[in-house]
Amino acid sequence: MGVGLFQYTVLSVLVFLLGALGLMIRKNVIVMFLCLELMLNGVNILFMALARCRGSVEGQVIVLFVMAVAAAEAAIGMAIITTFYRNRGGVGVDRADLMKW
Amino acid sequence: MVINPWNLVFLFFALLVLLSAVGVVAIRHPVYSALSLLANLCITAVLYLVLMGAPFIAMIQVIVYAGAIMVFFLFVIMLMNLRKGEYEERMVPWRLLLGVSAAAVFAFQVFILAGEWRGFLPPGAHGFGAKDLSHLIFTRYILAFELVSVLIFVAALGAVALAKKKL
Repeated sequence: MGVGLFQYTVLSVLVFLLGALGLMIRKNVIVMFLCLELMLNGVNILFMALARCRGSVEGQVIVLFVMAVAAAEAAIGMAIITTFYRNRGGVGVDRADLMKW
Repeated sequence: MVINPWNLVFLFFALLVLLSAVGVVAIRHPVYSALSLLANLCITAVLYLVLMGAPFIAMIQVIVYAGAIMVFFLFVIMLMNLRKGEYEERMVPWRLLLGVSAAAVFAFQVFILAGEWRGFLPPGAHGFGAKDLSHLIFTRYILAFELVSVLIFVAALGAVALAKKKL
């Protein structure tokens, strides 16, 4: 009995969940962004495992595209965070209260 | 009973991946949190390289993710130069409770779904390299590939427009 798809699924879901948990409980915008990257990484693990299991390359191609989109998203996100920090004087999400009821 | 050595390798790296992922969430200081994510990405690359036989993706993971994106993150964190009072945050217990319970429900659902996936992954280092990937990218996924280049160009423009003080 070797390492199968189920073990990789468990690993990937746990990494994804830790990212989601961090997104829910942290208040620092930068750390929330890091947790977003963690979630993307968890999904990548699952894509790679499925590609390996099916013996096809397509999962790896999708992982490449996910990485490219993550790079674009990181650039935009960091620009938004820099502007946020400059306008609000901090990185806590509590400071984004302009539209708060 | 003979223990398969690949199982031990997988277990070791999976534990390291989970440990560094916990570090990203639990460490208070943003720089150490980012370094923990860096460790996570590198160990995942090792997992790809050793167990899944994907040397090209492993290399790209280290170069693009760990090299470019994480350096970018660290650069921004250090640019902000947060003092001790600014990054400290209170961990509110009911938020923690709410997050953990939501995560547990999601994990339960996924594990019920994934319980029937019994596919076997042959471990080892004979998989797909850059040749197979590029063949597929430049034939079937050529439109998506070109669109990704447009996306990155637009993202660069948008980042400049957002971060500029006065347009």
